[in-house]
Amino acid sequence: MSYAIGIGFLNICLVLLLSPFLEGIIRKIRAFIHSRKGPPLKQPYYDLLKLLGKENLVVSPNFLIRWAPIVCLATILIAGLLIPMGTIRPPLSVAGDVIVFIYFITLAAVVIMMAAAASENPYAHIGASREMMMLLTVEPVIAIALITGAINAHSFRISDIVMWNLAHGPTVSMGIAGLSVFLIVQAQLGKLPFDIPEADQEIMGGVFIEMSGPKYALFKWAFLAKQVIFASLLCQVFIPWPTTFILWLDVLVNLVKVLIIVIFVCIIDVVNPRLRIDQAIKYFFIIIFVALMGLVFALVQA
Amino acid sequence: MNTIQVLIGSVLILLTGVAITAIFSSYRKICSWIAFLSMLFAAIGIGYTAVFVYLHGPVATTQPIFTISTIGASLNLRIDELSALFLTVISFIGLWATLYSVDYMSFYKKESLLRFSPFLLLFIIGMVGVVCVTDMFFFFVFWEFMTLASYLLVIFEKERKVNLKAGFKYFLLTHIGTVCMYIAAIVLWTQSKSFDFNELRGVFETYLSSGLGIVHVVLLLFFVGFATKAAILPFGIWLPDAHPAAPSGVSAILSGVMIKMGIYGLLRVFIFLCPISHATYIWGGIIAIFGTISLFVATFTALIQEDSKRLLAFHSIGQVGYIFLSLGMGIAFLPISPVISAVALIAGVYHLINHACFKSLLFLNAGSILYQTGTRDLNKIGGLSKLMPVTAATALIASLSISGMPVFNGFISKWLIFQVTILGGISHPLYIILGLFALFISAVTLASFIKFMATSFWAKTPDSLKTRTIKEVPLTMQIPQVVLAAMCIFLGVFPVVAIPILYTTAGSLGLSGYLPQLDALFRGSYLGLNTNLGEGMATTFNPFFILIIMMICTVLAYLIFKMGKSELRQVETWYCGEEHTAEEVRYKAHSFYVPFKQIFRIRIGKYWSESLYLTNIPWPKIKVPGFIKKALQIDRWFYYPLVNFVIKIFDRFSITHVGVPQVYTLWLIIGMVLAIIVLFALS
Repeated sequence: MSYAIGIGFLNICLVLLLSPFLEGIIRKIRAFIHSRKGPPLKQPYYDLLKLLGKENLVVSPNFLIRWAPIVCLATILIAGLLIPMGTIRPPLSVAGDVIVFIYFITLAAVVIMMAAAASENPYAHIGASREMMMLLTVEPVIAIALITGAINAHSFRISDIVMWNLAHGPTVSMGIAGLSVFLIVQAQLGKLPFDIPEADQEIMGGVFIEMSGPKYALFKWAFLAKQVIFASLLCQVFIPWPTTFILWLDVLVNLVKVLIIVIFVCIIDVVNPRLRIDQAIKYFFIIIFVALMGLVFALVQA
Repeated sequence: MNTIQVLIGSVLILLTGVAITAIFSSYRKICSWIAFLSMLFAAIGIGYTAVFVYLHGPVATTQPIFTISTIGASLNLRIDELSALFLTVISFIGLWATLYSVDYMSFYKKESLLRFSPFLLLFIIGMVGVVCVTDMFFFFVFWEFMTLASYLLVIFEKERKVNLKAGFKYFLLTHIGTVCMYIAAIVLWTQSKSFDFNELRGVFETYLSSGLGIVHVVLLLFFVGFATKAAILPFGIWLPDAHPAAPSGVSAILSGVMIKMGIYGLLRVFIFLCPISHATYIWGGIIAIFGTISLFVATFTALIQEDSKRLLAFHSIGQVGYIFLSLGMGIAFLPISPVISAVALIAGVYHLINHACFKSLLFLNAGSILYQTGTRDLNKIGGLSKLMPVTAATALIASLSISGMPVFNGFISKWLIFQVTILGGISHPLYIILGLFALFISAVTLASFIKFMATSFWAKTPDSLKTRTIKEVPLTMQIPQVVLAAMCIFLGVFPVVAIPILYTTAGSLGLSGYLPQLDALFRGSYLGLNTNLGEGMATTFNPFFILIIMMICTVLAYLIFKMGKSELRQVETWYCGEEHTAEEVRYKAHSFYVPFKQIFRIRIGKYWSESLYLTNIPWPKIKVPGFIKKALQIDRWFYYPLVNFVIKIFDRFSITHVGVPQVYTLWLIIGMVLAIIVLFALS
């Protein structure tokens, strides 16, 4: 029990406190590619703190607008507790499995869409509509990839999937599943070429157009946290090597892997233009079929 | 007084209610309240029966209430746990829908309540009868009772042509299904000469042991009948027209309860009557496939709907598809793996209860919108959450439930369905494919309800609504919504309460010794579910624990939110510096998900479809020969000629009317003389 609370605390710290630092590194890299100097590494923390202190503007008395950012961050934190970050068992393994994780990630997106829809702004409605279409095509990919693991391990518990993967070495099915998850991480994190629901130049931030001050800070923080969560998911569940079973070493290894993945994501983000939503949907449908291939491999082995 | 008498008493209360509401139908308020009161007392009685059955086991009548000896049919009642479950659903949803209708029916100012309240109560009686009898003949009697009463409720607003058409479609298609069931029952009857369930079970055993293919024919006919009632595509095309046509309280019962009667029949025939065999394995698979087809097609079609009640009606087909998928898997795995079968059956029945709660609630919400705005078109409404906060909040809970968001009830049953289809399907990959469809469609459901909520409750209020004074609906309409919403949350957070009840329910289908122990299925976890599917396949979900952690995280996020001590200020919507009226820039229901909807657009020749559901299937035009048409018009060849003939004869007499009094007097005298002569001649 105390162990679970301990690693739970660790996960929360990684997701909340370390995520802005990763963003700082990303900004440095992006600036390097743009041949700029870039802001200091601490800049994302300053941004968040400044946003938290700004005036809280609301356009409607609807309670959803006020509570959505808080609930969104809370759901992301729970998603962070449902996946391992350097350990085999996630801290909340007694309370939920892979499906619960998928649904909490979805719930975070739902809360954003609800806040956008409740803000009564037409740009926000367009953003919400696009966000939902992205979700419709992206969520199946994550689900199929994780189900591939579940079929291999005969269990929906993440710890069992990780243990199976460690015991059976790299397999084709898990490789394909990992690849498909990597291909949609960009969309989940709202990065180019898939930042279609926000699309600053087209629909002025879309879902976030009416979200200012502390509300935007919490949404932004949730997105930063998502970076750590998805990178961890990818490198703990699909590429769990090397695992030493020494806690501090594993956590450190995980961090290095997370950093590498985040750098990849950043480079793709910098060098790609934004796609239109219909192009994105078609692209994701292809990835769904790729992910299904992985599932077939898992079934053939079993 | 024993339990059966309590049940019969409840039905008698309902019958009395029918009579009194029929008498007082011109006093609208009194009539509605009497309907509610009789429903309330009946619900107490029925609820008592259900609880008694769960505590002390099944109850039955010792001797038949009524017998038709020539065909071997006798009216026996037997209430086991399955019946008790359905009785609970019927009385619970029926009660709140009746209370809702008290004020709601004032929406229909012209229509007489004589065509509403008595039939609503008759409808309930029909459903109670269906789940309590143990005799196929009386099963059909009550089944027809239910169908006819619901048909009359569907065409309640008979002034509108579209409703009559919908009612006719419903009537026709359900009866095609019912005819299939009649044939199946008669085939069984030829063997047993009795309609009793136990005898029919014996017939199934004989057929199976003799290896005849006729058992498949019988099961096919029953499947068509029950699938039609449960609105499984392609048999259930009556539903999207019939449910929006009915008044909203009735739509709630139709969707929440009546279509579940098809599922009741399915469970009775495919598990209780048909012994576990290869036939159940095959038919379970077929049921699951049909369920998946209908959940896929119907939910996609729901995505393009812009009429609130029609949208919900399509989701009814979709959600029943989930139930069919899960129960079908349960039936198919009976001969292979009792463990997987047990979890699948529990998941299916759980989803049935959940669907009864959230779909009834959603129909009541749509009814409240209709009551206040007078329209069902999602393009014409918006911004109602400020004006109708209770309706908006309950609709949000129901939408999250039906989309299967965690800690609401839809999540638990969907979670169980995903577990069982995917882990259970490792040996039979067909079910994994079906499970993936179910998982994907869960997101489509979410999309559809985001659209529903965003357009009806959250967008800007359109100008067309500003002329009406929209306020929250009356208290009698609020209470049912709040109660059902509370039920959605309760079933989501405390599955530990529901699971043992559902386990006994599954056991009551003649499987009590066959299914594994409850502790073996859901290994003792405090307030959570530790599913154990055998062969090391296991998984966990603990909603109560998740909820506590969720609260802690929310507090943490709230503290972060408050860290900067920012001030709250109300501002206008920002249109990027442009000046717009709300009406100009409203994002309508039609605009949602256009690129996504375009992918699933189908056009085959002149038949087109916005989604996977062909909307303009031409009805075959039958040329009726002229003489039949003439023969049917009795006025034309009998009544009018007769009347004209009589009138012509009396016209002849009109010449005697000359208008001179003396002539009339002369006629009188002649008449009198004639009369006297006749009298003398006779004497």
